[in-house]
Amino acid sequence: MHSTKSGAAILLLLLWGAAANAAPPAGEKKFGEEYAGSQTCQTCHEDIWNNYQKSAHTFVETDARGGWKDHGCESCHGAGAKHAGSASAEDIRNPKKLLAQQTDKICLNCHLNTTRHSERIQSSHMKDGVSCVACHSIHANGPVGLVPRAPAQVNALCTGCHQSVKAQFAKPFRHKVPENQMTCVDCHNPHGSVRQPMAQTFAANEPGCFKCHGDKRGPFTFEHAPVRYEGCPTCHEAHGSTNPRMLNRHEVRLTCLECHSNLPALSASSVSNGNSSAGSVPPAFHDLRSPRYQNCTVCHQKIHGSYADRNLLR
Amino acid sequence: MRALLLFAAVLPLAAQQPAPSPVPSSESWLSGYFEAGYRGLTGAGGSSDTYRSVVNLGSGVKLTGTDFTILDPNKRYFERLRVRAEGWGDDPWSAFHLFVEKRGIYKILADVRRLSYFNNLPSYADPTLTRGIALDQQSFDTRRRFGSYDLELFNNHRVSPYLIYERDASTGRGVTVFQTNADDFAVPDTLRDSTDLYRGGAHITGARYHLTLEVGGTTFKNDQNTYTSTTLAPNPGNNLNPVFGQTLGLASLSQAYGIRGDGVFSRATVTETPFSCLDIYGHFLYSEPRSNLNYRQFNTGNFILQSQILFYNSEQYLISAAAKLPHTTGNAGLEIRPLHGIRILESWTTDRLHNAGSAAQNDTFFSSTLSAALATNYNQMETSIIASATRTLTLRGGYRYVWGDAHDAVLAPAGLPSAAAEKLRRNAGLGAATWRPGAKLSFTAELEAGSSTGAYFRTSLYNYTKLRGISRYQLLNTLRLSADYNVLSNRNPNAGSAYQFLSHQETLALDWNPKGDRITFDGSYSHCSYHSEISYLVPQILASALSIYRENCHTISGYMNGTFRNMRLVAGGSAVLTSGSRPTTYYQPTAKFSMPLTKHTGLFAAWSYYGLGETFYGYESFRAHLITAGLRYSR
Repeated sequence: MHSTKSGAAILLLLLWGAAANAAPPAGEKKFGEEYAGSQTCQTCHEDIWNNYQKSAHTFVETDARGGWKDHGCESCHGAGAKHAGSASAEDIRNPKKLLAQQTDKICLNCHLNTTRHSERIQSSHMKDGVSCVACHSIHANGPVGLVPRAPAQVNALCTGCHQSVKAQFAKPFRHKVPENQMTCVDCHNPHGSVRQPMAQTFAANEPGCFKCHGDKRGPFTFEHAPVRYEGCPTCHEAHGSTNPRMLNRHEVRLTCLECHSNLPALSASSVSNGNSSAGSVPPAFHDLRSPRYQNCTVCHQKIHGSYADRNLLR
Repeated sequence: MRALLLFAAVLPLAAQQPAPSPVPSSESWLSGYFEAGYRGLTGAGGSSDTYRSVVNLGSGVKLTGTDFTILDPNKRYFERLRVRAEGWGDDPWSAFHLFVEKRGIYKILADVRRLSYFNNLPSYADPTLTRGIALDQQSFDTRRRFGSYDLELFNNHRVSPYLIYERDASTGRGVTVFQTNADDFAVPDTLRDSTDLYRGGAHITGARYHLTLEVGGTTFKNDQNTYTSTTLAPNPGNNLNPVFGQTLGLASLSQAYGIRGDGVFSRATVTETPFSCLDIYGHFLYSEPRSNLNYRQFNTGNFILQSQILFYNSEQYLISAAAKLPHTTGNAGLEIRPLHGIRILESWTTDRLHNAGSAAQNDTFFSSTLSAALATNYNQMETSIIASATRTLTLRGGYRYVWGDAHDAVLAPAGLPSAAAEKLRRNAGLGAATWRPGAKLSFTAELEAGSSTGAYFRTSLYNYTKLRGISRYQLLNTLRLSADYNVLSNRNPNAGSAYQFLSHQETLALDWNPKGDRITFDGSYSHCSYHSEISYLVPQILASALSIYRENCHTISGYMNGTFRNMRLVAGGSAVLTSGSRPTTYYQPTAKFSMPLTKHTGLFAAWSYYGLGETFYGYESFRAHLITAGLRYSR
């Protein structure tokens, strides 16, 4: 009943918002004397203007629908007549020098209610005050988009802040990011995602890992619970590891034994309290003194899940 | 020598002047570069299998890279077209990327990648190899191909439909294990799998709302096959000891997995700004992949069914199985800005995944039917308040509650069922501060501290603290310093777990450009430490033991980029030195020199070295030099 009311309230808000679209279109914006127009800006900032002409934002200058026709520069920098007169940097808005949320607000004047916006509100970049212009170079990049697209440049941009991740990728067993065969955005969505940590998704809501590791996707008749409960990082260090196959332990048997510990679930009451752990029972009686049993994946080879065998043997 | 011959052949070509541009160079319709050359591998010293598993670069003529953009001044068929490609010419990784756009009409993105995946690293699962005991282990020599093709129509219009096709396919060979009741045998296998994904939808954008609707489907097939037959002595497998006086062995095996899958999925995303102080958003995502298996196995040799002490010489095994995995995710939230400088973020997430599978097995000795079920319901609620305390300081505080339940069961009409159920209950406090006193300095610190009364696994987050700090300081106009610090401490105090985990990583980096773009240097030093301890019972005696993992690592990397009279030198590399449970050293120095030949052409030569050293698993160490030389055309 409670969820029905909540749903109705959300629906009402949506409808109200849709009705509010009856507001006058932005294209009817009138520019007063405080606006200089982009032609005036071009006089002094020729290099920036030339780059701007190649950038994806040129249509702001030419398309009346956005409401800034012939005033593209001022759509971000604010009214520029005073600055044009004084040539003082104090008299013009520089988004790079504003607080992150103020800068974002400028971008969201146009980019509000886009796919990117819906992702952004839940991203940790936004929460940590990483503004749009931290990654998007509005004037400099082009001619395709406002961010670098070549893998080496994308990775350099991300690791410019995430230095510790860069160090993890120097380890021998890793995804091929330092080789620039992959980029950070192959796995992460820098604008935000429903999956943590800002992870890409595959087929709507499945982990983005399955985009390349399709043979691990299943669904398996007999699943290995960690793959579904907590995902690949349960056993693998995706950024890089000194352990083969990017495992988080140096030998696979320890990776297995840490969950398959042979320690029984505490009791029925502890299950209801949530104190049990998956995989701890039933106990195994393999003799680990035999090399054959130190090598779990020799027999349990379908470790990511099996279509055929409940013990993941085939 | 081959490289020299190649140089001799291409130098006269390179010396020729390029064809004149059809338009003035200041407004060139074409810009970019094309780079090709020859790479020679001096030979991998040490373990060539590990070299191939980690680096895998080989000798030969290569398209090392190209990236060019075409701008059509008439904008007739497109406004801009960009092509990028790397690593073609039998490299282990190669990529092709195409972007074509005519604004407001269409946008096409194509991304094609090939990856050679070789993996033969027995030490991770076969620690006894140094004692001369070589067990089977799974290894692969496969080629994987990915393709993503994206067409968006009427972009920047109110309604913008799009279509996307993706393909991920792999073929190759490997070694796998055929497992029987008392022995397991290394056998060669062929691998072939592919996933095709189709999706289409539309972005619908209004002044105050945005809606994305998408539907799609996937198809999947996986045909792993094993065939082995010998007329000589049977394969004895890993169990060399006689069992009840008889030696076990595999004479022939034919095994085929016929796996087929399909699925549908849908996605709806909405954002709306009903008031200037309120943004609301929601996501609904649903997928339902399914799979079917027809498994056939026929093997001959000498085997034993231990439970009945029954020896047999041949076995036929047929399995027919199916599984379905409906998966629903819902996520909604809002951002309220009640006062200037205050933002309140509220979000709710639910992720519900329920798998059901069944298998009918028909063996020479048994036939049975099993059904399996696995379900996990994850829920999360989070509230954060972000406040701009001063012009330079932003504070964030919040609370997250995570709860869920999971169960995993295998039910047999006859026999012992197994079932496990777990609960997840976690409360976490969130705090962060961002301080930017000026353009030169920024500092961000984040703290998350959580406490649980239930977790899915013994090693899951339980009572934990995460701390992260990132700072950047522009010390001089030519020198920027940055540092980051990460800590994760996790403890599970429950009886039967006694898990302690502590990791931290500190990194210091600098960017120095004393001569503008002519000379730049970027370098970093990082130290990391992992310490994990958890108890378990040794299976054969059920006595308590500790699983301890330690890693202490130092990573140094640095690259110098210098330009002298149009000649360019990039030199640097990285070194990783670790101690602890798996002491390892890994060196990757590199240098690349380039110089112009004509206005548009140039020469380049590069050297790189890869050296992996393992203290405990020395048989997996390797070292290799790679030398590349070639030509670059750019405009």
